Amino acid sequence: MGKMLLVARYTFLEMVRHKVLYAFVFFAFFILGLGIAITQMTIGEPVDIIADIGLGTIEIFSTVIAIFMGISIIQKELSLRTLHPLLARPISRPQYVLGKFLGMLLLAAVGILFMAAVLWVMLFFYGAPERLFAFLPAFYTIFLQTALVVAAAVLCSAFVEPAVGALFAISFYLIGATSYNLVYLINKHTDETTKKVINTLRYILPDFSHFNIKDNLVYGRGLENISLSFATLYACAGIAIILAVAVLSFNKKEIN
Amino acid sequence: MSSHIEVERLSKTYRHPMKVWKVIEAVKELSFTTGPGEIVGFVGHNGAGKTTTIKMLMGFVAPTAGRISLFGKAPGDPAALRRLGFLPERPYFYSHLSGRELLRYFCGLSDIPAAAAKGRIETTLKTVGLADAGDLTLANYSKGMLQRIGIAQAIIHDPELVVMDEPMSGLDPIGRREVKDIIRELKKNGKAVLFSSHILGDIEDLSDRILIIEKGVRRSFGTLAEIIPRENIGWRVSFAAPEKDRDALFAAFKGLRVANGLFTATFASEQEMNAALTAVMERRHTVIEAGPLYPTLEEVVFRMQERNGTEVTHG
Repeated sequence: MGKMLLVARYTFLEMVRHKVLYAFVFFAFFILGLGIAITQMTIGEPVDIIADIGLGTIEIFSTVIAIFMGISIIQKELSLRTLHPLLARPISRPQYVLGKFLGMLLLAAVGILFMAAVLWVMLFFYGAPERLFAFLPAFYTIFLQTALVVAAAVLCSAFVEPAVGALFAISFYLIGATSYNLVYLINKHTDETTKKVINTLRYILPDFSHFNIKDNLVYGRGLENISLSFATLYACAGIAIILAVAVLSFNKKEIN
Repeated sequence: MSSHIEVERLSKTYRHPMKVWKVIEAVKELSFTTGPGEIVGFVGHNGAGKTTTIKMLMGFVAPTAGRISLFGKAPGDPAALRRLGFLPERPYFYSHLSGRELLRYFCGLSDIPAAAAKGRIETTLKTVGLADAGDLTLANYSKGMLQRIGIAQAIIHDPELVVMDEPMSGLDPIGRREVKDIIRELKKNGKAVLFSSHILGDIEDLSDRILIIEKGVRRSFGTLAEIIPRENIGWRVSFAAPEKDRDALFAAFKGLRVANGLFTATFASEQEMNAALTAVMERRHTVIEAGPLYPTLEEVVFRMQERNGTEVTHG
């Protein structure tokens, strides 16, 4: 456990020193500009619009950073050969892979916290800082979803070049974000076999609808049908499966 | 003498990256053992199989056949890795870390407690001559400095054996000399070193035993005296002469070479050498050395390649 956390710490440090956190500062300016634009242009409730776009942007920023930092996190070490002296230490390959994942997860958590703080500042200026507390479950589910994407990116990073890894990881995210629509496909088909195939796909493919509570919270509908416990379990199970594949395969990988 | 490394009939084959039906034999039935306190030089051309063998020793790559034992354990076993240091070829480390931070990281990975790590880091930085550059980020290190921080990370946990892949590669003469001094210092402190190189002068300078491989096959393993045949390959006269006599000397002696003001002529037989020796003395030049000519390691390796040879000595 200690070595895994050590790898996580240095992975996080690497991201910070490579100025990844600047992306979150960019988010702050984006939200600030958005706030100014909204007050000038809209006639609706600016707080709702800022919250809606703010939460959506936090999700997109977290995902983009998870994918683009995650897909090269192990590949870079392989191509630069920084991995060789590290694996010559008494550290197992699973400890290394899990440490890399935890480091990325820490980065995602810090990023989401920072962006949440920026959103709170904006809400404060619009006289509704207390609304942020209602959004806490949304920050949590964005974190869970990002953790799944980080796991997928780390898995890709262990095997393929960053460009191919990005393709896989983006596909993973897009499938996760849209697979819920398979429900409508089932209703359109009458053939039982087709229905079964689509239904099976629904359970195999990642489904991020379990984490999608932003709209409900922004427009005051509460959690409705979303269970945070189920979302947590779903994310943990998904992460466990993806990382198990990553660890088992990386264990057999030839480090050239 | 207990062995540090035991390699028995080790083989590694790869599929050709483009022609998948083609099999490349990187290492073929390689066997050798190394013991405590000795420096073993691992010689071979680029592509001879040195790095592949080292990668198998370190557990990075799985052998196709054969057995490896490091301190009685399998490659990659944490118990063996604690007693082993490793310097990769052309080392590159995290450019965002300083030298001290890198060593702190590797201390943590090597189970060295934080309290002990601090002193260990300072001592090691001093050993490799980087005490004043410890706080500089590695992005600002020169090639020679990276090589030295590479050695520092390899020895920070006080291993009994250090494996170095081409430690002198790409270094200028001063850098090479510094690395050689560090290797000698390691031996003085009772450590064993296995290092690969294709620079035969470095191998000759440092090694207690030399392992020569070619196309993945062991060609020779033993001390320098065991590897280099005792029979002479010719005769030689070396003498000092004034520069003004240069042209006359070149006309008189066939195949004469001159280096640092010293003239050297080689001959096929003792009689020819004796005749030349008499001629040199008659001209009142100073004879420095005369006698049989033995092959250098370079010549031995070259001759092995020429005849695609069989084993010269035992291991």
